[in-house]
Amino acid sequence: MSQTLTPPKSAKRVMSNEGKAAKRRVRLNSWLMYIVMAVIGLIVLVPFWANFLATFQEGRMIITGGLNLGIDLAQASLDNWVMLFTDSGMYFTWFANSVFITVAQVIATLAVSAFVAYGFAMYEFRGKTALFIVVLLLMSVPFEMMMLPLYIQINDFGLQDTYTAIIIPFMANAVTILFFRQFLRGIPREIVEAGRIDGVSEFGIFFRLVFPLMKPAFGAMAILTGMMSWNNFLWPLLALRSSEKYTLPIGLNTLLTPYGNNYDLLLVGSFFSMIPIFILFLAFQRFFIEGMTAGAVKG
Amino acid sequence: MRKLLYSPKIAPYIFVLPFILTVLIFWVSPLYKAGVMSTQKIIPGSVENVGLANYDRLFGDRLFWVALRNSLTYMIGTLLILIPGPMLLAVLINSKLGSERLKAVFKSVMFIPALTSVVVAGIVFKLIFSESETALMNQIIGAFGLDPIKWLKTQAGGFFALYILAAWRWTGVNILYFLAGLQAIPNDYYEAASIDGASSWQKFWHVTVPSLKPTIVFVLTISVYGGLAMFLESYMLYGGNNSPQNIGLTIVGYLYRQGIERNDLGYASAVGVVLLLLVLAINIPQLIATGTFKKEQH
Amino acid sequence: MKLKKFAASALAAGMATFALAGCQTAGTSGSEETAEGQTITQEAVEGAAQLELWTFVELHGEFYTTMAEKWNEENPDKKVQITVNVLPYDDMHNKLQIALTSGEGAPDIADIEVGKFPQFVQGTPALMDLTEYAAPYADDIVKARMDLYTKDGSLYGLGFHVGATVAFYNTEMLEGAGIDYTTIKTWDDYQEAGSKYYDATGKYFGTVDTSAAWQEGLLLAQLGGEYFAEDGSPALNSPEMVEALTILKDLQNANAVSVPPGGQPDTDEARAAYNNGDYAAAIMPFWFTGRYLAYMPEFSGKIAIAAPPTVDNPVNTSVGGGGTGTAVVAGGENAEVAAEFASWAKLSYEGNVETWNMLGFDPLNTSVWHDETITNNPDNQFVQYFQNNPFEPLLAIEGSIGNLDSFTNPAMPSVNNLINTQTLNDIFENDVPIQEALDQAQSDLENELG
Repeated sequence: MSQTLTPPKSAKRVMSNEGKAAKRRVRLNSWLMYIVMAVIGLIVLVPFWANFLATFQEGRMIITGGLNLGIDLAQASLDNWVMLFTDSGMYFTWFANSVFITVAQVIATLAVSAFVAYGFAMYEFRGKTALFIVVLLLMSVPFEMMMLPLYIQINDFGLQDTYTAIIIPFMANAVTILFFRQFLRGIPREIVEAGRIDGVSEFGIFFRLVFPLMKPAFGAMAILTGMMSWNNFLWPLLALRSSEKYTLPIGLNTLLTPYGNNYDLLLVGSFFSMIPIFILFLAFQRFFIEGMTAGAVKG
Repeated sequence: MRKLLYSPKIAPYIFVLPFILTVLIFWVSPLYKAGVMSTQKIIPGSVENVGLANYDRLFGDRLFWVALRNSLTYMIGTLLILIPGPMLLAVLINSKLGSERLKAVFKSVMFIPALTSVVVAGIVFKLIFSESETALMNQIIGAFGLDPIKWLKTQAGGFFALYILAAWRWTGVNILYFLAGLQAIPNDYYEAASIDGASSWQKFWHVTVPSLKPTIVFVLTISVYGGLAMFLESYMLYGGNNSPQNIGLTIVGYLYRQGIERNDLGYASAVGVVLLLLVLAINIPQLIATGTFKKEQH
Repeated sequence: MKLKKFAASALAAGMATFALAGCQTAGTSGSEETAEGQTITQEAVEGAAQLELWTFVELHGEFYTTMAEKWNEENPDKKVQITVNVLPYDDMHNKLQIALTSGEGAPDIADIEVGKFPQFVQGTPALMDLTEYAAPYADDIVKARMDLYTKDGSLYGLGFHVGATVAFYNTEMLEGAGIDYTTIKTWDDYQEAGSKYYDATGKYFGTVDTSAAWQEGLLLAQLGGEYFAEDGSPALNSPEMVEALTILKDLQNANAVSVPPGGQPDTDEARAAYNNGDYAAAIMPFWFTGRYLAYMPEFSGKIAIAAPPTVDNPVNTSVGGGGTGTAVVAGGENAEVAAEFASWAKLSYEGNVETWNMLGFDPLNTSVWHDETITNNPDNQFVQYFQNNPFEPLLAIEGSIGNLDSFTNPAMPSVNNLINTQTLNDIFENDVPIQEALDQAQSDLENELG
């Protein structure tokens, strides 16, 4: 800096002026950023708010008039919410089914994927590269294209209309395997070596020494797998047939028919279906976001 | 038995065994069957080998090309929306600007849409884009003095709604992927760039973007797949698989229409095979070019 | 941390609620649980054959359970207990298709919409041949409506109604514009009335549809056309098709009609528009009576039913529109009793009276049309609702209700799909020239069918 030639006193003043200017600029930029974030954030929340307002209005009117951000308070009522808790047919059955399937899918997928990823991350073995390419290619296979033969196969196994049929095909999930493998590579090999020296079996090392260290990675993948399972539509629609076994998305979709009278429940049911997930996410978000960053997808 | 449990030579095969089994039973076998079925004409009670006749028919089928064009347009559109936008937002969140707490709130808000089911989101968006003048989108353009539009009945309006839905649901997820990538970039890179007198923009372009390459590749791979295999969004927005003038018809939608709605399993399987080849044709060169396949060799 | 604790306890409370609610729903079953239209279960019947039935219309479900109770009174040795699953139209047909293809998971009885029927009887049908079961009733039934569900001489589905296409007019709104519906005989009259109505009120008289082809079917029957040529190959650009669509396009150009929200009268959006007074007329199959009653109660006493407008020297005045073929799945444990029950419920005189009383359909057994104790029953909800007696126009056109053979063509589902998604939108929303749109449809269809 050229200021070094000027007397110290004035230099100090120049510096502090510059510092102030920089500080002001930072503050201005921060505010700009807040404004951008606030605008985007509010837009993102609009659909939720519109759905929320709709729960106090007559379903048929919303279906024909569309959703907006206004509400006529004179017409608003709690009828839909009362119906949800007193006379909503199978709604809570579907809800419980979805929760059950999601939890089971998360546990199954995480367990299998972690197990497999450990094999990939910690060992050298023949055929590893080929197998790994299979994992990568798996990410490119559209499930929909094998849906029909798989349906026939599920029937051959006698698994039609069971939750097993819904959960099993998604147990080996390429994204989850990749993520865990990446995470495991960050774990020091010394732990494994120490285990071997102590005479722990290969599987003991995994279950007793490594598994507990994977906690942060589990958080992130639990939410991603959970999202996938909670959302799954086409396959459960094909595989399930009794309405008491339906999942929430399928059940809600059955309410969307012009030959019934279910729009009140549809709107309040849609809104209500989001609440528990939000609570779960808010409760565990720190865990989740840390996990995602810890696993850092490096390819 | 003891040897099995203790041998580091055998152990890896046992670790990957569940994967091999599920893939063989639930992926490879149906995939193979789909391939075989694509060369057959399947009518209840009879199966006839027809060679490549289904493919022949497919290439002359205008609606298949409509579906293909729609899926490709959607995929490219979502790539353009869902890579740069979330990346910039992630850089913003990762910057030293502003309070961490407020930024954390923003992150959470952005992520929330991903937690809603497409069925619910589709119902809500369908009603926001409804053709009634009291629907939100028509109110918005009404505020600018424009007449109500039948959004979902035009190609541009329908795709606009699909893009908005995609942006709404996935921006938050991609922000997290990029944040993870950003936090893995060593600080020295930026310090070195500062010493060289690089501006913020130059730092972004010459340090951030190249260092994010693996993340970009990952997001690209899953987005290509997600874009080409899109179905449910359109299914919900149009209340079924049949949209006016097939505006929302995608490849998977066409597979569904032929295989399930028309019960033409052979023809539908051919559609599926083409979809698979397409995804592979885009993803494999991309993965090779970015060196992802080589990673495992050392 | 506080938030986390709060959230966790809120979640726990929430879960407890679900569990409770879940128990409650599981505990209550029975025929009163129809509010959500998912399953309608008849009261438990001892020693009855358990029959699972799929349908896409909630009211059909109630019809079947009512009929089952009557059946059990008359046939104590062959009691049935019906569980009705009401699914959305697309989902129901798709699931049924898959279940039949794979041979697993099909119900005992299913309602299949006429537009979807041909693909369910492709190859070797997985449906039961009902010819024998329907035989006792066959003489009294409109044969053409059974032919829709017949393949190679075997009957696979039992119809619900004739579905004669008629015109519905809101007389109060017509009078306001100085129009007398009884003077509307031809499409020219209809157009004139429509233009007059538009000039007087600024609103459209009737609809021109883009997501259903009721009026196209009617016009084809009047002009003597079909969707297919004699040899069964598609003929979407036939002169009759061009003429039919030209008549409809002229109506639109004359501001007599417009495309309703939802694309056709039988949608939620369009019903709302009707309720709102946006349209005064509807040309629909007779079963639209039920929609008036259920969704437009305020118009009670104001709606008149008339013969549809026609072309000059029509081949037929009206046409059977829509339809639901009730099919029995072959090989089921209770298939025989299911077939007996379904034939009785749909085809017997009692069943036909009930389809009119409960559902407002024009029954297949036309002797019901002439039974004045039924058609003029002052307690009947439909007799009460409509301004004139609903059977008056039916009897006037009775000998001239045609049927399109096209509906039995295996490619009909593809035709329906193409017309209702692409062609009608091209013509009525985007002003594509009629010939061009139809040529496009013809070539699309030829390509799709390979």
